[in-house]
Amino acid sequence: MLSKAQSYRLLWDFAIPQSLSTSQKWVLSIMQSCGDQLITMLWRILGNEQDVCDAYQDTFLHLAHCKHGIKPRNVKSYVFRSASNTAISILRRRIIERNNLPRIAAARKTEPPANDLDSNNLQQQLRANITRLPDQLQNVLTLHDLAELPYAQVAKILGLSEGTARVYRHKAIQLLAVWMNKKNEEE
Amino acid sequence: MKNKNITNCRDMRTRLSKTIASFLSFDAVWVQNHIANCPKCQKRFASVGKVYLAMSLLKSKPHCLDLLRNANIQTIDTLAHSVRNTAKADKLRIARPEPKLIERLSPLKGSLANTAACIAIVFFAKTGIFNSMEKFQADSRKAIENYYQKQIGQDLTSELFS
Repeated sequence: MLSKAQSYRLLWDFAIPQSLSTSQKWVLSIMQSCGDQLITMLWRILGNEQDVCDAYQDTFLHLAHCKHGIKPRNVKSYVFRSASNTAISILRRRIIERNNLPRIAAARKTEPPANDLDSNNLQQQLRANITRLPDQLQNVLTLHDLAELPYAQVAKILGLSEGTARVYRHKAIQLLAVWMNKKNEEE
Repeated sequence: MKNKNITNCRDMRTRLSKTIASFLSFDAVWVQNHIANCPKCQKRFASVGKVYLAMSLLKSKPHCLDLLRNANIQTIDTLAHSVRNTAKADKLRIARPEPKLIERLSPLKGSLANTAACIAIVFFAKTGIFNSMEKFQADSRKAIENYYQKQIGQDLTSELFS
């Protein structure tokens, strides 16, 4: 009985990697069709090449192993949402790391207040504030503005109506404007 | 009947939203006039403009051309052995970002327009539109000649139309 069970277990162990390896072939097709767009979106969110590669890898690993290698129904929406979430969490981590580095923090204190039109500062401010947005607003903004997907596609990916996606995007811009303005006033 | 009503409703909504958008856009004259005189709105307008500026800065910063290739290599290396050694995987390992079809065709925009115009002319000539235009022109000329003949006589008309 025990030996029979063990042999079944062996068979099962052998079967899982096989099913994964055969299923992973469609992952390559998705990589081919969405890769370029994904890289552009990730680059705009993260602004760091190594982080982009890591987020890209995480996204496709999630895809290859989701539901034991079964292809999701709407792959494109799965990939974009997963990539966006992964990138945002990496970005949050980076911001925390940057703020916790004592040397940089000390240097920051001595720095003169940054110029309004300093492009790097502006980009960093925007990235930091995007991570603070509520999930839905954040998803709409990243997919529409950073991945440059049309509203119809964004709505389909997020399971919203087109009008709702527009409203969320407008709210996101308003919130970002308030936060970025507030930070400037504090400085 | 129900489908027709739905389509009408959709049309109405689209028209309404377009009208409202044109009336309420930042480019509308009354909005511009108001912003010029209202300090609160000036501040809001400036802060929204700043977000758009930051967004365009993010978009305008290009990434390295090899980024897609590097990301593909890193990802493919973590997939199963059988997938790593396929032809598709090899193709992805040397992939580079390619501009969209419209962007690729933009330098040829002028010559494409010229070709389309030539094709249109050939089409019109073949279908006889030009012939009928010439016929129409000749008939009109004849009618005017007849009118002048009746009014000012044969000699003057032949002098005018010769």
